Amino acid sequence: MSQWLTLFQKELLEMWRNFKWIWVPITFILLGVQEPLSSHFMPQIINSLGGLPDGAVIKIPPPSAQEVLIKGLSQYTSIGVLIIVLTTMGLLSGERKSGVAAMILVKPVSYESYVTSKWVGAMLLMWGSFLIGYLATWYYTGILFKWVPISDFFASYFYYGLWLTLALTVTISLSAMFLTSGMAGFLSLAIVILMNVVTSSLSNWMEWSPAQITTYANKLLLTGKIPDSLFPSSLLALVCTIIFLLVGIFVFKRKELASS
Amino acid sequence: MSLIEIKGLKKSFQGREVIKGLNFSLEKGKCTALIGPNGAGKTTTLRMLSGLMNSTEGTIVFEGTKKGDDIRKFIGYLPQFPVFYDWMSGIEFLEYVGKLSGLSKKVACERALHLLQVVGIIDAKKKRIGKYSGGMKQRLGIAQALIHRPQLLMLDEPVSALDPFGRREILELLEKLKKETTILFSTHILNDAEEICNQILFLHNGQLVESGSMEELRERYQQSRIDIIFQNNEENYKDVLKGLTEVESITSEGKQLRIYVNDIELARREILRESMERNWPLVKFEVSGMTLEDVFMKVVGK
Amino acid sequence: MITINWGLLAPIIIIQLILLVVALIDLVKIEKTNGPKWLWAIIIIVVNIIGPVLYFVIGRRNH
Repeated sequence: MSQWLTLFQKELLEMWRNFKWIWVPITFILLGVQEPLSSHFMPQIINSLGGLPDGAVIKIPPPSAQEVLIKGLSQYTSIGVLIIVLTTMGLLSGERKSGVAAMILVKPVSYESYVTSKWVGAMLLMWGSFLIGYLATWYYTGILFKWVPISDFFASYFYYGLWLTLALTVTISLSAMFLTSGMAGFLSLAIVILMNVVTSSLSNWMEWSPAQITTYANKLLLTGKIPDSLFPSSLLALVCTIIFLLVGIFVFKRKELASS
Repeated sequence: MSLIEIKGLKKSFQGREVIKGLNFSLEKGKCTALIGPNGAGKTTTLRMLSGLMNSTEGTIVFEGTKKGDDIRKFIGYLPQFPVFYDWMSGIEFLEYVGKLSGLSKKVACERALHLLQVVGIIDAKKKRIGKYSGGMKQRLGIAQALIHRPQLLMLDEPVSALDPFGRREILELLEKLKKETTILFSTHILNDAEEICNQILFLHNGQLVESGSMEELRERYQQSRIDIIFQNNEENYKDVLKGLTEVESITSEGKQLRIYVNDIELARREILRESMERNWPLVKFEVSGMTLEDVFMKVVGK
Repeated sequence: MITINWGLLAPIIIIQLILLVVALIDLVKIEKTNGPKWLWAIIIIVVNIIGPVLYFVIGRRNH
């Protein structure tokens, strides 16, 4: 355990020294907050430009606070996922490629601890940044539109977090398998996108797909009711996460640290 | 008393066998050099011993351990090109690997400071490793290999990347270290091996072509070389000498003929008799022991 | 007329500035970047938000 803590502390320190603790949360704030801001100011901006001919009145029904939040959340599942993948893909492959993994793992260090310390570190950064960013989005939405109940906020935060966790774990797992971080990143994005595409095109067959969690969480926000398939799909996401992590550790252990 | 015993060690990459069955053991407290030309398989062998690479076949048994024990506890390893976390300082890295090796925070700190002192980079302890020079990294590499007081210290070409001054200092450091721990280091510089090692392992094309202590090797190859210098062109005499049954091979170096012989007593008599009869203008006639380089050329040649 | 609510916008502008400054500090401290440093300096300063993020994601070279 003390060895795991040493590895984990190193991850936290590294994220501090390379400013991940600053720039990732800030990016997540800016990502989310732009939705309530632009939705609120857009009509004013169009009016002030005076681009509309007389008499033409564009009637944009003002979105509900929930709709604004959902739009903000969609930023996290697109650009947010991209940032998660890009910042996570090199965690294992990069260290192995540079040779520093070999320096560490000739010491009596457990491979499981080595991989999981990085995984937990990346998770902490992701959940933390997402919390700060989404909280800011919720706050701005509350001020500019209406206040969404904080319980709904945390529920949607939690379920979206599960989906992001899966994306992050896929990346860690592939980073453990491939020597080039670019390859790990590319394949992770491919897997996430594929899950989304397959799920949305076969949505009748895929009620329990982890990629549905976000859809269900949106429904939860809009209606206040918990969709039937939310728990099964969340459970499946959790199971997938654990499988990806275990497979990642397994492959990492079997790979030789030094290539010919 | 052997510390580690290697039996039938083999390694293949994509079906190509690079290490073709090594058998040797390292004696406790001895300093052993793994010598061989580039591509002989030195690095691969060390990587297998350190656990970084799996062997295709064969066993590595560490004294006093059972099958399945983690032998990494007993081994300190310095790869040929050590890599660190550039964003850490030297002392941070040593403390980090110290704690990973099971030392308490306090002991790791003390040990790190001590080792920085020993390898001579104590002044740069707070400097980021990214700003270290190659020589400093090599020293830090030795320090990290020693952090947990390993029973076996393995160094892969520890001095070949250094300038002459750095090399001298590291060799002197090894000289000190070999009193405390068993050392195995690879090199292609024979002088280094000759200088500090008691045991030699010659590796060539993935095979152990010769091994033994310095004394054994000297004895085995002793006085089997005769150097002759003539006043004029040595080529005139080469053919006659080649005709002698005792002569195995002859190489010429400048004006000097280097004659490798199988029976030194007989060969000396024969060559001197020939030169008397034919009235050769000898300038120098020397019977000499072989240097490590001679042994090396000889074993690699066959 | 646009009525600008500075109380809402000011925090956003401040954290954008923090992002920019942190990226620049890191750029100065780091030994090597992928691509020339001066180019990254321009990208960080000129391209709002995306510039610093791009720098951190692909400009930084680890190890």
